[in-house]
Amino acid sequence: MYFLTGWPRRLLCPLRSAEEPFHIQPSSQRFYFALLSETQLSIWFSRPSVLIVSYIESVKAAAQFGFYQKAEWKPDDSMVAVATAKGYILLFDVLGGRDEKYLYEPVYPKGSPRVKVTPGYKEEQCAPALSLEMKKPVDLEAPITSLQSLQEDLLVCTADGYLHVLHWDGLGSNGRKAICLTTIPFSLDLQSARGGPSLDLEGVHIRCMEYCVTLDGFAVVLSDGRLGFITPLSNTITADQLQGVWAADVCDGTCVAVNNKYRLMAFGCASGSVLVYMIDTTTGSMQLSHRLELTPKHYPDIYNKTGPVKLICWSPDYSVVMVTWECGGLSLWSVFGAHLICTLGEDFAYQSDGTKKDPLKISSMSWGAEGYHLWVLPYRQERRRQEEQDVEMVSPPHPSLQAGILQFHFIKSALTVNPCTSNQEQVLLHGEDRLYLTCGDPTQIHSASDAHPHTHLHPRDSSPLHQPPNPDSPLSQGLSTLLGHKHWQVVQIHSTYLESNWPIRFAAIDSAGQCIAVAGRRGFAHYSLFTRKWKLFGNITQEQNMTVTGGLAWWSDFVVVACYNFTDQQEQLRLYQRSSNLDNAFASVTKLHSDTLLLNVFRNMIILFRADCSICLYSIERRNDGPCPSASVELLQEVSMSRYIPHPALVVSVTLTSVRTETGITLKAPQQVAHHVESDACRQQELPFCPPVVLAQCVENVWTTCRSNKKKRHLLEALWLSCGEAGMKVWLPLFPRDHRKPHSFLSRRIMLPFHINIYPLAVLFEDALVLGATNETVLYDGQGSSEPLEALFPYCTVERTSQIYLHHILRQLLVRNLGEQALMLAQSCASLPYFPHVLELMVHVVLEEEATSREPIPDPLLPTVAKFITEFPLFLQTIVHCARKTEYALWNYLFAAVGNPKDLFEECLMAQDLDTAASYLIILQNMEVPAVSRQHATLLFNTALEQGKWDLCRHMIRFLKAIGSGEMESPPTTPSTQEPSSTGGFEFFRNRSISLSQSADSIATGKFNLQKTFSMPTGASAKGRDVECAENMYIDMMLWRHARHLLEQVRLRDLGCFSAQLGFELIGWLCRERNRVARVDDFVSALKKLHKDFLWPFPVIPVGSLNSPLKNGGCRTVLSSQLLKSQSADSLLNSDMDTAPTSTAPTNHTWMDGLGQRSKDMDTASSVHSSQHSPQTQDAFLSLLTNKVEEYSIGSATDLTETSSVVDGDWTMVDENSTLSLSQAELEHISMELANKGPHKSQVQLRYLLHVFMEAGCLEWCVVIGLILRDANVIKQMISFLDNPEVPPETVQSVRNGLLAVDAWASADCLGYKPFLNLIQPQLQQLMESTSEQVQPEAFQPASQASKLSASEGLGGAAVPRVEDTRGVAAPLGLALPSLEPAGAFPRPPSEDSPPEQTEEQAEEEGTYDCTLS
Amino acid sequence: MIEVVASMARGPVFLAGELMECLITFTNPMSHLSTSASSEMLAWASAQIHCQFHASENRVALPARGNKQDVQADSDTVLIPSRGERGQCVLDTPPKILFCDLRLDPGESKTFPYSEVVPIDGPPSFRGQAVKYVYKLTIGCQRVNSPIKLLRVPFRVLVLQGMPEPPFPQDEEVSPSNPFLEEEEASRRDARALERALDMLMVTTSRRCPHMFNITNMRGKVAKFCIFKTVYRLGEDIVGTFNFSEGDIPCLQYSVSLQSEEEIQEQYQRRPGQAISVTGHGRHLESCLHTASSHFSLPIPLNVTPGFSTDTVTLRWRLHFEFVTARDPTEPPTVLQNQSEVTVWAGAEHVDVDTFSWNLPIKVLPTNPALASYVSQFTGTNSISI
Repeated sequence: MYFLTGWPRRLLCPLRSAEEPFHIQPSSQRFYFALLSETQLSIWFSRPSVLIVSYIESVKAAAQFGFYQKAEWKPDDSMVAVATAKGYILLFDVLGGRDEKYLYEPVYPKGSPRVKVTPGYKEEQCAPALSLEMKKPVDLEAPITSLQSLQEDLLVCTADGYLHVLHWDGLGSNGRKAICLTTIPFSLDLQSARGGPSLDLEGVHIRCMEYCVTLDGFAVVLSDGRLGFITPLSNTITADQLQGVWAADVCDGTCVAVNNKYRLMAFGCASGSVLVYMIDTTTGSMQLSHRLELTPKHYPDIYNKTGPVKLICWSPDYSVVMVTWECGGLSLWSVFGAHLICTLGEDFAYQSDGTKKDPLKISSMSWGAEGYHLWVLPYRQERRRQEEQDVEMVSPPHPSLQAGILQFHFIKSALTVNPCTSNQEQVLLHGEDRLYLTCGDPTQIHSASDAHPHTHLHPRDSSPLHQPPNPDSPLSQGLSTLLGHKHWQVVQIHSTYLESNWPIRFAAIDSAGQCIAVAGRRGFAHYSLFTRKWKLFGNITQEQNMTVTGGLAWWSDFVVVACYNFTDQQEQLRLYQRSSNLDNAFASVTKLHSDTLLLNVFRNMIILFRADCSICLYSIERRNDGPCPSASVELLQEVSMSRYIPHPALVVSVTLTSVRTETGITLKAPQQVAHHVESDACRQQELPFCPPVVLAQCVENVWTTCRSNKKKRHLLEALWLSCGEAGMKVWLPLFPRDHRKPHSFLSRRIMLPFHINIYPLAVLFEDALVLGATNETVLYDGQGSSEPLEALFPYCTVERTSQIYLHHILRQLLVRNLGEQALMLAQSCASLPYFPHVLELMVHVVLEEEATSREPIPDPLLPTVAKFITEFPLFLQTIVHCARKTEYALWNYLFAAVGNPKDLFEECLMAQDLDTAASYLIILQNMEVPAVSRQHATLLFNTALEQGKWDLCRHMIRFLKAIGSGEMESPPTTPSTQEPSSTGGFEFFRNRSISLSQSADSIATGKFNLQKTFSMPTGASAKGRDVECAENMYIDMMLWRHARHLLEQVRLRDLGCFSAQLGFELIGWLCRERNRVARVDDFVSALKKLHKDFLWPFPVIPVGSLNSPLKNGGCRTVLSSQLLKSQSADSLLNSDMDTAPTSTAPTNHTWMDGLGQRSKDMDTASSVHSSQHSPQTQDAFLSLLTNKVEEYSIGSATDLTETSSVVDGDWTMVDENSTLSLSQAELEHISMELANKGPHKSQVQLRYLLHVFMEAGCLEWCVVIGLILRDANVIKQMISFLDNPEVPPETVQSVRNGLLAVDAWASADCLGYKPFLNLIQPQLQQLMESTSEQVQPEAFQPASQASKLSASEGLGGAAVPRVEDTRGVAAPLGLALPSLEPAGAFPRPPSEDSPPEQTEEQAEEEGTYDCTLS
Repeated sequence: MIEVVASMARGPVFLAGELMECLITFTNPMSHLSTSASSEMLAWASAQIHCQFHASENRVALPARGNKQDVQADSDTVLIPSRGERGQCVLDTPPKILFCDLRLDPGESKTFPYSEVVPIDGPPSFRGQAVKYVYKLTIGCQRVNSPIKLLRVPFRVLVLQGMPEPPFPQDEEVSPSNPFLEEEEASRRDARALERALDMLMVTTSRRCPHMFNITNMRGKVAKFCIFKTVYRLGEDIVGTFNFSEGDIPCLQYSVSLQSEEEIQEQYQRRPGQAISVTGHGRHLESCLHTASSHFSLPIPLNVTPGFSTDTVTLRWRLHFEFVTARDPTEPPTVLQNQSEVTVWAGAEHVDVDTFSWNLPIKVLPTNPALASYVSQFTGTNSISI
């Protein structure tokens, strides 16, 4: 397919002349272009696009012949015929084309050591020298309306109704025939009325005519606007052997262009539409195939104002057609009418400020070689205006007008000329000098993973670890890869190859999308994406001695080429290995007997279509015996197709397929796909031949795959067709369910048409996707550019697109009562990331259609669709998403079909799918009375609270409030404030018209006013009005209930999150609950629960165990010490906080040294010991390890016992802490001690809760947290509070009992707590004394004293200073890490002085820079 | 045997400062039905990111440095990620332990996630003529009493220089002062780093500001050149237009090359005044003799390294222009109408020419790493058996 790129290029005739060219005519190979102005014939070369020669008529001759009008080339480029206004045909000899003479050859200054820009410039970049000589003119005595070049003859139509046949060589009397139009019999088809002219042709002449080789006849437009087709009944054109057919009911024809490959005739009409006709092969009548018309939908202001069609141009490969109208503009259609580009709309028609541009009016146009360019001669007035713009903007350097030619650039799909199988699965576009490839497509992953089993892991195969919680990660990324991005990988074709072999004719990509081969005029070259290197023939003679004729294809790592060898003068099939040098020595060559037209590869077979209308099958086998791998080719079979194909040039593609489980050949002929079925009885031997079956008409492309996948048989064994304006079709296989009665089903297939919005270029079978490309435009006007071209035309780019089609097929199957098949198909695709979207689309489309239908639908599909979707777990979600995207008015219809939304809501709750339930709530809110939606909302709110879905909770709070206020004030106020934190999936709350008048409040408490939680509630709720009060009250009740529930269950961490996330006023609430739920019943279990929830390790008592660390060598110790490191690193950060109340100065170096020596052995041992406790929490610690600096500092501490893991051998790590000169034992000691603390975050959270409880006066909780933090000061403080007379005696009692219980528990189960309890013993004593005298102070002695006297002796001594010790060491470390945040300070004020937005105004002047070349 | 597979699901390209995630799967491939099947044990596994620097001997003179060789024997339980690698390790992240004492029953498979922020202050991945920077994720694992086995996953790092510092909480519009809010904040922050970087990229590279140049040589004006911006992302097309119709000197041909210049900092240059290495990455060549206006569009390949500067090397980007111009500013011939004789004008066979060159510096910035992943030569997945 063709796409416009960039801007047009403007060529300027170097000859100054007052005349403007108005007609352009390409030579047969499109290397030369003849341009006509009134008295001037110029020949331009295609590449480089330069003027070669210009013939300017003398004034006398001009007066005699009249102005030039039309030109036509002789097929061998040796002559040009020019028709003049006064009825003359002027014949010019074009001389010198074969001489080795070139124009504009650059001559470099002698002796200057200059570098040639291109090594091969001389030969390739120069135009051949030509000259023009006029021969004798021929006078036809009537104005000439049309010229047509045939092989030997020139056919001229004149305004007097005659058809002249002139011989190119013997012009003049003997080779001249004239046929009067009136003598030609015309009828509606060839069978009826053979006698005499049936229509009145008096006074009518042929206005426009074109010869179609493959139809062997002339498509004509008569001067009265009628359309016809004249065919000679014999081989020569003689008057009595002509027969014409009419196109019925058309009388406003203006012009015609024929398509030789597809046997189509495109007639332009005065109405502006193009009618494309074909000839019915049985009756010979003209049948309308399709129309090319601008639709009012896409071109509302121009579609009926285009004026008559002016010109129609088929591209050289006949796959697209360009149309222009009297009013101007260019419009491109594919052969069967898919619309690609039109310059009458959008950016082409409007400037960026909205003003309308004048469309480009065109007087003549022509495609360049291979369709990479469109040469356009703008209409004179248009060009004048353009020149005037020039004059306005800059002072014109040349006062006189000069001829301009616009060259539009196109890139095209490789499928248009080389439809081999691998090109069908990849999107490959080629432009004049570059290739565009899609990158990142799933097919690449499929195929690559086949090749290298270990290198690729499909993103969707990722383990469950990776999927939730972040919905943006791999899954959605995979989706965006498939659907979202629009980028191409652009590969520039090697300039050396390009310069000598321009234009590129064929391109092929391998099925993995990694290798590309291109072939130009001679030879070929290939490129690997992996190495990013081109491979060219090493021997240029070999390159120049072959030309690719039938196309290119990849077979594993071989390039398969059908080529013509000029040295041996024969057609050959060659295979070149990719990795070896590109040389004939490494090629396997097979001689062919006839010219090859098409080539394709299927599994291990090559299929050729030859000019003698036969199909050849070859098998390929890889040989690894030689030094480099080679391939051998063996002929399997030849099948003549001449019975079925009228002309070999009509065959567009040949493909072997596995469709129908047998091997078959698909042969694409014009307008139809013929499917040849050959049973696979003896695949390697002769394939029996069956006559072709016509599957479809108007087919532009066919896709099949040779892969097979049992799970996706429907998609992989289908045949996909693109049919131009008719969209796509799929020939889908139908399979029996559960393999019942396989025989009756085996050959069943169904053809399903469906529409897609893009032009399909590749079908991704497994992914149920179609890839395509579209033209996009960017405006560059108003950029200060004085160049009118950039202002006149937008810059065109090509973007890749993709489309899901599965919903169309499923729906079609459901319509046809093939629900089982639909279900099987859908289930095979259920793992696709966009499958939910497919279902949604299906419901949506059917719903829109049926609910908006005016007439009642007798057999509605929606219930069937709904029932179908219930088969999938996504049912609830699909329905609600679909409902949200449709109008409210359709909801009743929808839910009548799918079920009551209340039930669906409850199903969601049952399935714990809260987000979907929330979506249903919005439906309920619109469809039910407020009481019902409130009831459901409450239900959902409570569940969300329980599950900790805070975002949802916040939304529910707002929702509940909105319901309340909505009752009072209607209509609801529209949201005025944007929600500060938008969370995915809930946009509808914002977009729907729910009152959000309070949203700012509720959010603000959640996010902004967190610091308020330290103070008493400021009465934010008090300011509300009565209604709000009621609503708020209702919500507060629920929040309170939930908070109570959490506190009862000792879920402090959840409570903290709950309060933080929802802005719940924890302190105020706790104050109220101080003597109720905020009490602690069981200190021990509360403590245990906190340990568990906050991942806080139980303290470890450094029992003087006997195992020495040195004995215990091996990996385990080191690893555990690394674990310790990570823990301790975190705690180190907080050390200053821990010490904050007492603020001991870090001066104890000498003391610590002594300590270190004393307790060295014991401490190392205990570190081992502690490591045995830590495994159950190791994961959490690992995830917290974030700071490099900390790591190093501790690294040195553990290195010394074992060979180091981290620092050694790493020169970047300079250990700053070595200056601290801490002994190994000390540090181990510290790390052991710190290991007893939990993660940093938990510590901060616990401290935070401690403050909250303190503020609220919940002393029992304070004690519990003080215990877990082992902060003696807290305990001391609390116990001193207990003296306060306001404290109820129950609290005192409870604290006392609690502490006793903890002590008992510690003595029994957790000796690690004992040192701490000892530390606070004086306070405990005090507490006991002050309250009652029942408690024995001995109870606070270490319980293990008796049993482990010696050990605890050391313990008791060590335990007290250990706390100090932590401070002493930590403080200097803390100083060494100044950048770390002080961990104790929670209420960090938000920094208000955020750096001001740096508005760097790079005042880039748009002035003109002068630069001098060096 | 244990199979270890490391896979970066996002693809093998990351922006510095972005969170890299890798799933490391340990599998005991034995079927539990097989007779010889037994449980497999691994003592530990640990992973870290490191960047290897390698300089060409004859271009770069590096200061002598302490010879810290790999002194550890194989039996040590120490992970040196750069062991056995060429060049020196210029950057590494702290090692993270994936597990200790893993036991895999036959057929059992366990996956451990590894995530680490790609250091923001490191160099980008770069493979130049004088200097190479290569990033790898190295996973070390060891069986008891066996040598350490290393699994390397090479990946590519793009650096957006001048990217704002990784956001501290202060930068957020709302500071989470409540410690219970931190969790989600932290996870969002990582995603936001990438977002911010991409936003910044979009803002800097999508702004158009046309620059016009009059291309002149000593004989006169050749053309007017317009480029619409000078800052580009990887994968973008560089678009420029030429207007030759205003020139006095006919131009036969021009070429535009996209080039990168790799310059070793002065103190490390092997020879004083050593030439800058220039590499071409694409070229547009056009004959423009009778062309009034034309344009070029050069794609910036996705696999090249954006401009950067370290203390060793600086990479810059430029457009290199060459023009072949006629030496004589011939006045275009005028065709007079109504001549009494037929005139046949033919182009000149030879044109005396000069060639001129010109350089225009441009900036090339990174792009979305996901996009660059599609064309990466790395797969982001690697495996070993131990």
